[in-house]
Amino acid sequence: MKRIQIFFYGIAMFAFTACQKEFTNNQPTGTIKFTFANTVKGIPVQLNTGIYTNNFGEQYNISKFKYYVSHPGLSNTSSTATNKDYYLIDENIASSKSISFDVPVGSYTSINFLLGVDSARNVSGAQTGALDPLNDMFWTWNSGYIMAKMEGTSPQSTIVNNKVEYHIGGFSGANSVLKNINIVVPVSSLNMIDIREGKISEVFIEADFDKWWQGSYDLKIADVPSVTMPGALAKSISDNYANMFSITDVQNY
Amino acid sequence: MKTRVIILFFSVVVLSALLISACKKNDVAAENFGPYNPTYLSFNIPNGWPVPATNIFADNPLTEQGFQLGKKLFYDGRLSKDGNFPCASCHQQFAAFATYDHDFSHGFDNAFTTRNAPALFNLAWMDKLHWDGGINHIEVQPLAPITAPNEMAETIENVLNKLNADTAYPAMFYAAFGSGGITSQRMLKALAQFMGTIVSNNSKYDKVKRGEASFTYSEQNGYTVFKAKCETCHKEPLFTDNSFRNNGLAVNPYLNDYGRMRITNDKNDSLKFKVPSLRNVMLTFPYMHDGRIYSIGQVIDHYRSGIITTQPTLDPLLINRIAISNAEKNDLIYFLNTLTDQQMTSDPRFSAN
Repeated sequence: MKRIQIFFYGIAMFAFTACQKEFTNNQPTGTIKFTFANTVKGIPVQLNTGIYTNNFGEQYNISKFKYYVSHPGLSNTSSTATNKDYYLIDENIASSKSISFDVPVGSYTSINFLLGVDSARNVSGAQTGALDPLNDMFWTWNSGYIMAKMEGTSPQSTIVNNKVEYHIGGFSGANSVLKNINIVVPVSSLNMIDIREGKISEVFIEADFDKWWQGSYDLKIADVPSVTMPGALAKSISDNYANMFSITDVQNY
Repeated sequence: MKTRVIILFFSVVVLSALLISACKKNDVAAENFGPYNPTYLSFNIPNGWPVPATNIFADNPLTEQGFQLGKKLFYDGRLSKDGNFPCASCHQQFAAFATYDHDFSHGFDNAFTTRNAPALFNLAWMDKLHWDGGINHIEVQPLAPITAPNEMAETIENVLNKLNADTAYPAMFYAAFGSGGITSQRMLKALAQFMGTIVSNNSKYDKVKRGEASFTYSEQNGYTVFKAKCETCHKEPLFTDNSFRNNGLAVNPYLNDYGRMRITNDKNDSLKFKVPSLRNVMLTFPYMHDGRIYSIGQVIDHYRSGIITTQPTLDPLLINRIAISNAEKNDLIYFLNTLTDQQMTSDPRFSAN
């Protein structure tokens, strides 16, 4: 009788695990959730209506703000857990700003992801999901993904309708804008990322658009109201925006 | 005791079935269209031809259903905004899938394109498309003309909506790709299956190479001239080396088209354009990236005497222009005529149904 019971439970367990993704290698896993909050100097972005001023005294609003987060993962001194997927964080789509995936149980001290889409995917033909050209993040005349996009207007812009358009892309050579982002959980955080079996941990990440204007390159709307192709300008802006992310909180539920 | 075992048994069976079925997606399409059973095709490389550097079908298994879907899409005007501009409006089979007798092609709202429509054949051997090589994969190529305001002027979203509303497409997408519906990726993969399998290898030249025909005296002389003076760039058997070169044309002040430099941002690529295949060259006039030269004789004259030799990026092979006598020019034209592949340009497999 006992044996029959164990056998039946075995079948049930098999049926259950058949649903899980491979990734795990039989290690126990928990779920990590990255929640992005897009801000300008800490103030949540208000699409279209928010009026912001950069450090050069130029006023602007934001109508579109989106960027690719690829292969997100966690790491500690001994291991790294990486997800192979691609995510498009779009300020206009609330659900896009939280991404979840499973990682092996453990304590992690930093998060990492690729800001952009890796070069291999830029040359592999038609894609789907977050990489579908329907998402308006693919250049048709010079194949490749727009890794990060901001659109808006500014009285300081000298181009048509006072447009401000930064479509930042380019995946090869010296002007590649791909950025490996690695953020250590700040010492001030009350919690480390503690992944426990079947539980959810959440990392709150701020993306401060204000960082686009300054860093290693002074981006002034009056001088450069639009960048819509790969090249040195796009590279300079990506050097700036690589610094826009910070961890604001960690919660283990 | 026995009853408990039976109850336990049934509850586990039901639970297991429930869990397993939860894994499967609800496959409505399969119920409507029957079993998914595509006919797989193989892509044959002609004898003696190089193996393509990249297998464009590696992630896009060729099937008869995928090919037929791609063909229907290629000839369907609904891929354009007003219905008037299918792919085939600029890529005409009788012109080796270029636009016959046009320097620029016509697009939406009486617009012109800004470059001469390239012929479509042997694309499986071409790893960069367009005159400037800006498109890096055949699958993403159609996105450019479909969305260009002076070509098909449509959005991908609208195209998918039109295909979904059609009576034939949902079943054809299912037959080609299985359940999962109509997506941009599948549309593009189907188009790649059609365009990528158009192979031109049945010209008189090919038949001579296979021992099925022989050149006339003039054609043979022209072939000798070709081997001596053209073959470095227009490399056999594809009749292009797929490189980008500046062949010494003046910049058109209306277009200010600097070719590959726009893609690479490298001034060394200024005025470089893709070397086009000479296969079917008698059908693909007018010539050059902007169709500025009307006849093949004038093209030869350009290489003899028209090349602007002061451009810093001029191809080193052309610094002294190319010495071609009048007799050689005549023979060369006889030879170039042997590169026309009427079997390909009239093949019903590539024609609208």
